[in-house]
Amino acid sequence: MQPTPVPLDQVDLADLDVFEQNRAWGMFDTLRREAPVHWNPEHDGGSGFWSITRYDDIERIDKDPETFTSTKFTNLEEPPPEYQELRRSILETDGPRHLALRKLLMRDFTPAQLRRYEDFLRGLAKVTVATALQQEQMDFVDAIAADYPIAVLARLLDTPEEMTPRLIAWGNEIVGFSDPEYARVLVNSEEAEAYRHLPFSSPVSQEIFEYGRTLAAERTGGDGDDLVSKLVNRIPEDGVPLSPEHYDNYFLLLVVAGNETTRQAISHSMKALIDNPDQMQWLVEHPEKMQVAVEEFVRFASPVYHFRRTATRDVELHGQQIKQGDKVVMWFASGNRDETHFEDPYTLKLDRMPNDHMSFGKGPHSCMGSNLARFEMRILFETLLPQVAEIRQNGDIRRVRSNFVNGIKAFPVSIASA
Amino acid sequence: MTETRTTLREHESDLVVASATAVAEGVVELRLADDSGAGLPPWTPGAHVDLVLGDDLVRQYSLCGDPADASSYTVAVLREPASRGGSAYVHEGLAEGSRVTVRGPRNHFPLLASPRYEFVAGGIGITPMLPMVAEAEASGADWHLSYGGRTAASMAYAEHLVAAYGDRVTLVPFDEQGVLDLATILGSPRADTLVYCCGPEGLLAAVEGVCTSSWPAGALHLERFAAKATEAPAGGERSFELELAASGVTLQVPPDKSVFDVIQDAGVSVLGSCHEGICGTCEQVVLEGEVDHRDSVLNETEKAANDAMMVCVSRCLSDRLVLDL
Repeated sequence: MQPTPVPLDQVDLADLDVFEQNRAWGMFDTLRREAPVHWNPEHDGGSGFWSITRYDDIERIDKDPETFTSTKFTNLEEPPPEYQELRRSILETDGPRHLALRKLLMRDFTPAQLRRYEDFLRGLAKVTVATALQQEQMDFVDAIAADYPIAVLARLLDTPEEMTPRLIAWGNEIVGFSDPEYARVLVNSEEAEAYRHLPFSSPVSQEIFEYGRTLAAERTGGDGDDLVSKLVNRIPEDGVPLSPEHYDNYFLLLVVAGNETTRQAISHSMKALIDNPDQMQWLVEHPEKMQVAVEEFVRFASPVYHFRRTATRDVELHGQQIKQGDKVVMWFASGNRDETHFEDPYTLKLDRMPNDHMSFGKGPHSCMGSNLARFEMRILFETLLPQVAEIRQNGDIRRVRSNFVNGIKAFPVSIASA
Repeated sequence: MTETRTTLREHESDLVVASATAVAEGVVELRLADDSGAGLPPWTPGAHVDLVLGDDLVRQYSLCGDPADASSYTVAVLREPASRGGSAYVHEGLAEGSRVTVRGPRNHFPLLASPRYEFVAGGIGITPMLPMVAEAEASGADWHLSYGGRTAASMAYAEHLVAAYGDRVTLVPFDEQGVLDLATILGSPRADTLVYCCGPEGLLAAVEGVCTSSWPAGALHLERFAAKATEAPAGGERSFELELAASGVTLQVPPDKSVFDVIQDAGVSVLGSCHEGICGTCEQVVLEGEVDHRDSVLNETEKAANDAMMVCVSRCLSDRLVLDL
C-alpha cells in the first residue's frame, strides 16, 4: 500500500514512535524525492546523522569502505572510545581483518553446504507447522515465526533443546534494545551507562558471553562440526587468533543475527500474503516459483531498516557537505522502495524481475547468513501453504520500537487447516 | 565521491628488493624491504603473499623469513621451465633496487599447535616449512623434516637446515637416493602428530594417499603450489551462455564481464564481498556446465566436483553454464 507522503519538515528518522507506528515509509519517500542526503538531528545526545535513502547512493556508500568506514560502529549509538575495542565485532571491522574473520565461517553458509540441512529443516518446519495448526487462533510470531529460525540456530550451534527459549529471549532483548517491552535496560537510558562496555549497552550481552564461553571451553581442541567448535578451533587466515573478546562478540552476533532477522522476514511475508490473496493463490498454484518469491518476500519485508557508516574524509554528495567523522545512515528499507529500481515498489509481485533488492546489504559486509535465511523461508512456506485452507489477520499488529530492526512483536491470526 | 569497484582490498605494500641471492640451482631468494617506515602486516608460518608483477600477472609465494621481522618479507622463487611468466619475470625482471607490489599476507596453511610434527617437503615446497620448523623447534615440539629434491644442488636451504637442526632433518636428493620413502616416513600413524606437506602435485597426491588410508582425519595439512590462474587463457576470454534456472532467465556472459556482474545487471540478487575469489561470499550451486575455477576458496577436490563456483572470478569452459539461482 502506497504510504501517505510526509512533508519534509516533519521527517524525523530518530523518532522511534515513527517506526513503532509504521510511519517511516512516507518519510523515506519524501527524502528520496526531495532530500536524498538529509541531516537528521538526534534527541538523545547523539551527534546526528545523514540519511541516505536512494538505492544508488546506498549501494555506492556500502561499496566504498575506505570513505565510509564501519570501524566507527554501525548502529546509531556512539560507543565511548575507551570501550570500542572491547565491543568490536566483524561488523565493526574493515579490510584484511574483516576478510579473515568473514572467511572463518563464510563457507558454512554457502548454498552447497546448507543442502546438508535440508532434511533437518523440512522435519523442523513440519513439526512447527503441525504444532501451530492444532489451534485455530494463534499469534503467528510466537507460534511459527519465532521458534523455527531459533531451532535452526540451535542446531548450527549444537546447543541443547532446553536452551532454545533462552536464545529467543536473548535475541529479543538485544535487538529490541530500544523497545521497553523487550529490553531490561533501554539503550538511551541513564541506567545503560553502566553497560557501555557491552554490545548494545545491554546487560544481557554479558549473559550471552558467559554461555558462549562455557561452550567454547567444552569444545576447544575438539573436532566438532558446529559453529562454536569452528570458531574456537580455526585460525583466521591472517594468522591472528580470535581474542576472547572477539570470540564473545562473534558468538553474540550469531545468536542475534541467526535469531531475529529471519523471524521478522517470515512474519512480514505472511502478512504480505494475507494482504494480497491473489499473490497467495498464485504461489499455492506455482510452488516451483518459491525461490523467486522468497526474493520478493525479503525485499518487501526489509527486516533491517539501516546500517550506519562514518565518513573518513569530507565528501560532497547531492550538494550536501558530509564532514569527516559524520555518521552516514544507509536506509536499506528505503532503497527497497526506490521507484527507479522497482516498478510499483509498494506492490507485492512474487515473480518480480529484476529484483536486486538490498535487504542483505550491498558491500563487503553483506549478510553472511543470506543463503540460510532464504533456505529457511523457502522450506517454511513450502510446508505451511499447502496446510492452510484460509488465513486471516485477527487483530492489530504490534511493531518493535526500533529504527534498526523492522520487527513485528504481535501478529494475531486465525488459520483454517486444509 | 570516489568510485570503488573492488570493495574489500587486502593490504598492499610497495616494497623494494633489498637483496636477490641465488640460494640453489634455479632458485633466487628475494628480500623485499619496506622503505616507507610504516612497518609490514604481521604473519605466521605457512603464510603467503601475492607478488603483483603486472596487470594480469599475480603470483603467490610462501614467506620463508623470520615472522618477527616487520621490516621485510623473504620469498624464494624457483624458475620453472613451464612458467607462465611469473617465475621468469621474477628471475629476469627483478634485481636489487627493483620495486614490487605485494598483497597480503594471508595464511591458508597455518601451523596448528601440536606436540609432534612430521614435515614433508618437495623441491621449492621447502619455503613455508622454514618458518614452520623454526616455530616447532621454539615450541619444544618433537619434529622431523623429510626434504626431497631433484639434486642436492637444487635443494634450497638444505645446508642451513642440517646445520641448524642436525638429524631432525633428512635430505633425499632424487639422483642419489630416489624418491621420498613415504611408506616409512608416514608408516607409524600417531594421534598426537600433525603432518605438514608442501611440494609438487605428485608428492602431495602420494602423501594424501598414505594419510587418507592410515592417519586420523585432520592430521594432514598440505598446501598446493598451483599458481592462481588470474590470467586470461591464450586467445583471450570466451563468452558463454548463462542460465539462471530458478529465475528463469538466460543471459550471455561476454569476454569482458564477470558472471557476477552479468547476474547483477539482470537484476537478480547476488552478494559479494571481496570480488577476488578469496572470501567465498558469492559461491553458487552449479547445475550444468564445465566450470573454469579461478578462485582461492575451493580445494582441488571441490573444484573437480564441479557443483559450486565463485561467480566473481570463475568462468565456464563449455558453451553453457546453468546455476541454481
